[in-house]
Amino acid sequence: MTEIEEKQGDFEMYFGPAHPGSGNFSVRVQLRGERVMKAVVDPGYLHRGFEKLMEYREPMQNSVLSDRICVLEPLQWNLLHAEAVDTLMGYDIPERAKYIRVILAELSRIQSHFIWYAVMSMGTGFTTGFNVAMGYRDYMLDVFDYITGGRLYPAGYICPGGVRKDLPEKAEKKILTLFEKIDYMHKFAKKENPAWLERFKEVGVLTKEEAIKLGATGPILRASGVASDVRRDDPYEIYDELEFEIPVLDEGDAYSRYLIAMQEIEESKKIVKQAIDRMPKGEVKTPNMKPIVHFRKAKGETYTRNELSRGEGAIYMIATGKKTPYRVKIRGPSFTHMIPILKHLLTDSYYADVPAIYWSLNQCPADVDR
Amino acid sequence: MKLSVISEIFKNLFKRPMTVLFPMEKVEIPERERAKHKFDIDNCISCGSCAKICLNKAIKMVEVKKEYKEKYPKTYPQIDLGKCCFCALCQDICPTGCLILTEDFYLATFDKDSIIIEPLKI
Repeated sequence: MTEIEEKQGDFEMYFGPAHPGSGNFSVRVQLRGERVMKAVVDPGYLHRGFEKLMEYREPMQNSVLSDRICVLEPLQWNLLHAEAVDTLMGYDIPERAKYIRVILAELSRIQSHFIWYAVMSMGTGFTTGFNVAMGYRDYMLDVFDYITGGRLYPAGYICPGGVRKDLPEKAEKKILTLFEKIDYMHKFAKKENPAWLERFKEVGVLTKEEAIKLGATGPILRASGVASDVRRDDPYEIYDELEFEIPVLDEGDAYSRYLIAMQEIEESKKIVKQAIDRMPKGEVKTPNMKPIVHFRKAKGETYTRNELSRGEGAIYMIATGKKTPYRVKIRGPSFTHMIPILKHLLTDSYYADVPAIYWSLNQCPADVDR
Repeated sequence: MKLSVISEIFKNLFKRPMTVLFPMEKVEIPERERAKHKFDIDNCISCGSCAKICLNKAIKMVEVKKEYKEKYPKTYPQIDLGKCCFCALCQDICPTGCLILTEDFYLATFDKDSIIIEPLKI
C-alpha cells in the first residue's frame, strides 16, 4: 500500500480501547474530514500469554485454561483443545461423549451469534437489539449452568477423553424448551430493520478474491461467496453423520455477514435437534479416567482445526514425553479478521462506518491477543 | 420500507422484565453450580491430590491449629478463594469425596484476610 501524504488539517482518532463499542482493542484512524485515510490496528490490551502458560501446566489444567482463550465461545475452545490432546494420546472417545460435545459446541455457536447481533446493534446505536439479544442469551447461559456448572466458563467440561460429566437429567428437554424460548429473539433479529439496512448495506465490502488473499475464514469468508467450513471439509466428532447446510452469500458486505449469522443459528439448531434425537446411551469419558492425562505417554505433534463461530480455530501441540506440552500454538480466527482485513476495510471508509465494519467482522480481542 | 421491527420494539415496552428483583427474588441455582467449597476433614486422607491438580495453586496443604493437632495430626487443604477459579478439578480428583463445591456463591467480602480459609473452617 502506498503511504498517504499527510495534509494540513488531517487528524488522528482512537477507536478504543476505552470506546464503549470497541472491546479491548484499539484502532488508530487517520482522518481527513469524515474520511478514513489510514487505519492502524493496535492489539495487545488483553494478552494473557496462554501459549506459554500451557507449556507449564498439564493437559487437564490447560483444558480449564482453554475456556478463557475466547470468552464468548468457551465450549468450542474446550472442544478444540480436548481434540488436540485426544489425538496425541490416541484416546478413543465414547460415542455419547461425541454427541454431547457437538450439542454444546453448537449451543455455544448460537450464543456467540446472539452476542454478535447484540454488539452490532450496540455499535450502531440500536440499543433495543442489544438488550433483547443479551437477555435471550441469558436463557442459554442458564442451560450451560445447568449442564456444566458455570454460566460462562464451563471449566474444561469438554475435556481430553470425553466430557467431565454426563448430561444431567432432563437436559435434552431443557435444551428443546430453550429453543422455543429463544425463537422470539431469532425472529426479532431476522426482521428487516430500516436502521440496519442503512448502516450495513454495501458497507465494508470484502470481495471473494480479497477474502481469500487476506486469510478470512468462517462466516466472513462465507459471506464473500466461498463455501468453506471445516465441519464439512475436514469433519471432526460426528459432523459427517449430520445433515446441515452451509449458508453462503455473494455480496461480501456487513449486511450479508449478519445474514450469514442468522442462517447459521438456524443450522446449528438443526444440528442440536438431530444430535439429541440420535444420541446413544453409555459412557461419557474414556473408562476409569480420573482428571489426569498421562501426557508422558504422548509423543509427536498435531495440528487440530475446528470450525468455531468466528471462523477457523486451530491448535498446534508438540509432546516430547514430558508431563506438559513442549509447545502449544493457538490460531485464533479473529487474528486475520482484525489485523489485515479490518485495516483493508477501514481504509477509505467513513468514520461513522467504523463501528459497523468493526463489529460486522465478529471479532474477539481475547483470541487476537491470547 | 418495512417497519415490522419497530412494532416489536413497542411490544417489548409492555413485556415483563427478564430480570428478577434481587435479593427479594432469586433465580434457581442448579445442582452442578461450582461455588464455595465444603470440606469434610474426618474423611480426608491427606493425599494432597487437590493441591497438586489446582492450576492456580489456590490449595495449600497446611497443619491445623495447635489445639486440634492431636485429633488431626496430618496436613489438610487450605483454600485461597482469591486465587480459586472454581474449576472443581479438586472435587473430581479427591479419592474420598471429602472436598466438594457447593451452590453457595455469596462470596463477596470487605475483609481481604477472610478469603484464605483454614481447613477447619471450610
